[in-house]
Order: sequence, then C-alpha cells, then structure tokens
Amino acid sequence: MTDRLELRIDGEDGRETTVGAARDTTILDAAHAAGYEITATCGARGRCRSCRVKVLEGTVPPPTVQDNVQLGPEAVRERFRLACQTKLLEDTRVRPMPPKAESGYQILGGQAATTAMALDSGVEKRLITVEPPKSEHHQTSDLDEVFNALGESLTSRRVAPELVRDLPARLRQYKGTLTATLFRGQLVDIEAGNTSEQAYGMAFDIGTTSIVGSLLDLATGEELAAVGMINPQAPFGADLMSRIAFAQFNTKNLQTLRGKALNALNDLIKEACGKAEVEASQIYKIVVVGNTCMHHILLGIDVSYLGLAPYAPVLRDAQTIPAAELPLKAAPRAHICTLPILAGFVGADALACVLSTRLYDSEEIRVLVDIGTNGEMVIGSRERLVACSAPAGPAFEGAQIRHGMRGALGAIERIAIDEDVTCGVIGGEAAIGICGSGLIEACARMSEAGVMNASGALTRKTEDLPPAIGKRLVKSDHGAEFVLVWGAESGKGEDVTLTQGDIRQLQLAKSAIYSGVAMLQKEMEVGADDIAELLLCGGFGNYVDVASAVQIRLLPEMPAERITYFGNAAQMGAQMVLLSEREWQRAGELLESIEHVALAARPDFQELFIDGMNFGAPKRRDETEERTAVAV
Amino acid sequence: MTEPILQIPEGWEGRAPEGWEWATLWTAVEEGDHTYTHERVEQAIEVGIDPRIILDDGLFPGFNLQGDRFSEQIIFIPEMLITARAMKAGLALIRPLLAAAAEKPLGTFVMGTVLGDMHDIGQSIVTIMLENAGFNVINLGTDVHPDKFIETAVAEQADLVGFSALLSTTVYYQKVTIEEFEKAGHRDKVHILIGGAPTSQEWADECGADGWGKDAMEAVKLARRLVAEQRATWDQASN
Repeated sequence: MTDRLELRIDGEDGRETTVGAARDTTILDAAHAAGYEITATCGARGRCRSCRVKVLEGTVPPPTVQDNVQLGPEAVRERFRLACQTKLLEDTRVRPMPPKAESGYQILGGQAATTAMALDSGVEKRLITVEPPKSEHHQTSDLDEVFNALGESLTSRRVAPELVRDLPARLRQYKGTLTATLFRGQLVDIEAGNTSEQAYGMAFDIGTTSIVGSLLDLATGEELAAVGMINPQAPFGADLMSRIAFAQFNTKNLQTLRGKALNALNDLIKEACGKAEVEASQIYKIVVVGNTCMHHILLGIDVSYLGLAPYAPVLRDAQTIPAAELPLKAAPRAHICTLPILAGFVGADALACVLSTRLYDSEEIRVLVDIGTNGEMVIGSRERLVACSAPAGPAFEGAQIRHGMRGALGAIERIAIDEDVTCGVIGGEAAIGICGSGLIEACARMSEAGVMNASGALTRKTEDLPPAIGKRLVKSDHGAEFVLVWGAESGKGEDVTLTQGDIRQLQLAKSAIYSGVAMLQKEMEVGADDIAELLLCGGFGNYVDVASAVQIRLLPEMPAERITYFGNAAQMGAQMVLLSEREWQRAGELLESIEHVALAARPDFQELFIDGMNFGAPKRRDETEERTAVAV
Repeated sequence: MTEPILQIPEGWEGRAPEGWEWATLWTAVEEGDHTYTHERVEQAIEVGIDPRIILDDGLFPGFNLQGDRFSEQIIFIPEMLITARAMKAGLALIRPLLAAAAEKPLGTFVMGTVLGDMHDIGQSIVTIMLENAGFNVINLGTDVHPDKFIETAVAEQADLVGFSALLSTTVYYQKVTIEEFEKAGHRDKVHILIGGAPTSQEWADECGADGWGKDAMEAVKLARRLVAEQRATWDQASN
C-alpha cells in the first residue's frame, strides 16, 4: 500500500490540477495544501454543502454521517462527497461541484438529489421565561410554571427528581430565563440562562475487540470528537464465544464484563467532551449499537443461553434507558437508545449497517459483509432482506496464527512473489509477524506461485519452483512452513513463517464468510452476477486487498469494481439514529422485515462450507478416471 | 514431523490370487475416487478374495495414509471427507460379508454433539473413521440431550460414548452429560471420550472423561486401545 496518493482535480475551467497527498488526508486539505481553492463556508466542519465534490475516478471513499446530513443518501450514492469530510484512500479524481452550479453538471451526475437527511434528534431545547409562583391562595409550583411555559410540546409530566432539586435557585436566576430540554416530549433538563445552542449526543459501536464513539452536535450534525479504545473485556476472552463462556452461569463474571463496558463508555464520554470542550451534562441522547452479546452484557442481561443452540437473544426490541438507570454517570442527562437485535449472532450492529448502507431502499440486489471474528452479512434490496452470521474466528485479527499479530508496526501486510519473496511491512520496519490482511495476500500470492495448491496444501514439489522460493519451504516441529522473512532480516531473530496449520486456520475463517454469502445467495436465488454491489463494512475491510480476497475465495467471484469499502457502517448507522428519529423508527420497522437464516440449522450449509475451504474451484472426482487395473 | 508414507501390507501378494494388484485401489481411496473403489472391491469379491483381506490389504493402506496426513494437516477436511466417502463405498460391499462370516465389531460406540451445539462435521468424520476401523457406531447427530445419550448407551450396551463440542460455550455440556451418566448409574459401564476444537487433555481430566481425542485418528486409536484393555481385563478375569 503506497502512503503517497495522487488527487486529480477537474477544475470548473476545464483545467486539471494534480496534487500529491498522504493517505487519510481529506480532499479539502489536500487541495488547499497544493493551493487549489475549494470553498468551505462552514470552516470544514461538515455543516454546509459548499465544498461538495463528485468522485469521477477511483473508489469512492466511505461516506460520513455529515455527507448524509448535508447531501442526502441519493447524492451519496451518486458519488458526491463533502471534500472536508472525505479522506483519500487511493488515487482519486474529483470535480468540485458547489451546489449552485448544479444545473451545469446534470450530464455528469444525472440529477443530484437535494433531499438531505432531516436533522431530528428528538432533543429539543426551548428558551422559556418563567415567573416564580405568585399567589399564595391558588398555589402552583415552580415545576408547574415550567410546564405551563412549555405548553403542548410537553407530552409527559414525568420528571427525574434530581432535575427539580435545585430548580428554585435556577428559576430565580437570570430573571426567570431558563432553557428547558425535551427528549421525545419529556422534560430532561432545566438550565439557567440561554443554552439553547448546546445539545450534544454520542454514537457508540461496541465491538468484541474495540469500542468507537463519536460526539455530535445534535443541531448541526457536526462531528465534534471521535474516540475509541480496545474493548476492556478482551482479557476475559478474545472472541465472542469465550466471552460468553466466561459469563455463562456466573453472575459475578457477567457483572465484571458489564462494569468494564460501562467504565469504557464513561471514559470515552469524558474524553470526547474534553476534546471538544463541551459539557457532558449537555449530552442528551446516546445511541449504542453492538453485537447481541455486547448489547446484553451492557444491559446486564444473562448471556448463558446465547452460547447454546438455538442461540436465542433474551430481548430484541429497541430500548430507551435513562442514564441513571443504566447507569452511565458521565452523561447524567442522557437517554441511552439501543437498536433492535435481529438474532443471537446478528446484532444491532448489523441492523445499523442496513440503515447506513440503505440496503432497504436499494433497487438492485446488494450484499453487505462485515468481516470480523463474527462475520455478519445481509443481502437484499427494497423487495426483501436476508441476514446471517458466520463465525470466522480470530484468524483475521492474527490470532491462532503462529506469527500472527494485529495490523501494527512490524506486521507484514503486502507480499509479492516472483523469483523470491518481497514483503511490505507496516511502518517499513523489520517484520515481526503477519496481520490478517497480510495473511490473505500471502495465500493469494502463494497459490498463484504454486507454493501451495488449491486444497491449501503446501507443495512437496519444490523442484518446480524458483530455487529461492523452493528453499523457503521448510519442515520443522510445527510441520511444513513457508518462510516469508528469514530470521536474519526479521525483527524477531527468527524466521517469520506461515505454517501449514496457519493456512488451515485461514481456510476455516475465509470459508465461513464465503459460504455465508453463498448461503444468502442461495436463499435469494441469485448468482454473483446478479449482485450489483458488495459493500465491505467494518474496520478490517479498509486494509483488505479486494482482488486477493476474491482470489482466495473469501469474497464471491465478482469484479473488484463492484466491491466497495463502506467504512464503519455500524457506527454510521448509530450516528444516523442519533441525528434522526425517523431512522430510529426505521430501525424498528427493519426488525420486522429482515429475515434471518441460521446457518448451523441448515443441512445444505455444510456442503457450502466444505466447498468454500478450497482456494480454487474444488476438484471433483465424481467421474471415474481411467485406471489401469489388472483384473484377473 | 515425518511425512506419512503408504504402508504396503507385508505379504499381500501371498494372500491375493496371482496377477492381482491393490495399488490402484490404494490410490483410489487416497484420492477419494469412490466409483473406482466400489468397482475394484466388487471385482475382488468376485474373484473370491476374503473380505477381511480386502479390507486390510485393499482399503486400509490408502485410508490410513490420508488419516495420517490429516493429523499432520497436510490434507484438510474436504480431502478427508472425499477419502472417507470412497472408503464407505468399499465398506458397504464388505460389511455384510464380514457379518455373515460372524466377524464381531470391535465394539459399540455411541457418538454425538452435545446439547446446545449444532456442529456436525467433526463428529461425522470421527464416526466414519470409527466405522472404517471396525466399530459399530450409533450416531445421534447434533444438539443431543444427555438423556438421549444415556438411553442409547443402555439400550445398545455401548462400550464407548463420545461427546463432541465445538464451542467454548458448549464444552460445559460435556461435563454435564458425564455427570448425568453418573447420576443414572451408568458411568462405570462405558468409556467416555470427548473431543472438539476448544477441548484439551486438561479439560478431559477436569470433566471426568476417560480420554481426549486430539483429532479423528487419535480418537480411533484411543477407542481401539480402550476396548483392547477391556478385553484383556475380561480375559484375565475369566482365566
């Protein structure tokens, strides 16, 4: 992967400007650094549409929630992006298309839709003036006066006791000028003075391995801070099943895991508020998505039976919980909204992915794939949606691989094989291991070079290989191995190898994903050619070389241009629900309409799974070959 | 690690009619050619070769070679399954003949995946290997309740019972099922083996199993050893 990318900008005057930029630089920053002016009226905060560009060539980078808010989902699909929010992932050609010049570019973009996602978080701040009660005869209360001032927008008279405790002083401060905050028609905050501009929310995606969160301004949709950490439950089990096993029939352990999750959220809230310099007490809505296990643990729900067939969730519906009840101390005024769960292993994260990719609104059949320890997949269109999950295990994270590691400094991520092996290592350092994306690429190159055959066996015919390659096939106590980096050049003091056993682990993992998609295709009765687009979601998708993934049969056989990296779709779904009550409602509707296929319960899945283990098309031996038998 | 090689049975030439050869059958089983395996075993029966000899000299060499390769991860599940399928095609012809010759199975083995677990591949490979090795195997499938295991073990007078579990959350039921055997008073009547990816010798010891099969080949070796030991004990007792 080259870190230096090329951005070509088609100017309005027809001239092309070429700009060099580092990976992950925003299009706007790259253009400005090279002296090309793109107007960013809002100050590059994703709050206006002035920096809109259309991506003409190159994979369209994943959209952000701001793209959806400002441009709308149709424009997002039409390859429009906000230059200030969009980070470069590869060489890209764009044309700046500020909205006012839209008509001139009809020919390029078809019609650029202008229906942006409505900002309707359900949080409403109202500036009110309240006179303290005056009459001693027909007595009212301080709270009655607040309620009266709010009038009909208040739909519930329920109020948390701590809101009222210091109301007398606040009411009499600033001559009765108060800011009342309503969430879904219920009073959730009363502040002295005018704070109507300050309403924030957070969106969290709690993954088995990592937790990410973002702090958003509810009035504008602007992202004020992004935070993340390794899930602190990880020491109690790296994958979902061992996490469940730890808490299984053991309330104390369940509480331990729950405490870790709550602490993590509290810490991330504080960190985000610190970064953005906002008050955590002005966070009113928090949307949490995650797989079923993470969701249940956060709510303190017994997960014992989640690990046992038929792996049923305890609760599926969306929940809204006041912070004090969860409890989430860092954001005392917030309501925590959890999205619905589809099945035991297809969680709220999968539903959030459907929301953000708008699969439910697609005219053509699309499939979204989240490659993780527990792979989640959804296929469909506006006609029908079907979801499933497949346990890929931790091989893609480098676990259970002899020299496996995460995608950190020193990890092999790129491999080329010709007369010898050349490895690309993250940070350009001496190799100390191999990460998941490296593993996929290694297997793709090794099978091309004939180092291993279609069944995944390392070849025993070293004489057919270039001498330097043949020498790398060695035998040790761990069985047959292929040396990627010799000990003398590694940062480890020993050979960095891929063992026969490692290849077997990868085969199980990649077949889980491959056969899961195959099963969904079978369920929908569609071939790979009928799939308009495969959306690769989740952090891992960013690093996978798509062509290699198709070659080793991790992803279905389809041209690379129909495979799109969509970024952290679950997190974006959470952000959309944070900003829009319509999306919250839609999540509930989707719960009813998405079908679930339980792979383990399908006898035909086993065939697909076994077939999916091969790197090439499986060898069939149904036809008897001629054998020269000496019959008597 | 040593590369597994084809073990050619000593003296096979003396046991087969003149001009007969087994090499094509060894390769057919190794490569999983079930059609040819069926044909060749049929021919062997026609020319009057003893079914026990067809099994030992004709079918086992290719099968054992693949089994050893599977243990060493040189081949993987798909290849092992096609070899097992070829072996099965040959065995289907031989088994009735062995039964007619009053050859007793090595023992009766009740096999299944424990309650809460739907994984089938592991236990079905072990089942085929055990059958091929001469055991009478009763396969109860997946998600098997402890009562069902006990009921079947009692009814079939099983010598061995095997519990497969492929999830770290379901190994728990290996222990529970063993406890249920104890409660039912049938624990002493059977040898209990466990296996599956999350299991280990330590877990086998902890949950009170008689043995742990690291892989399918190990499970078969273990089962053979346990029934042989049992026979030896009986023989001693009756002497």
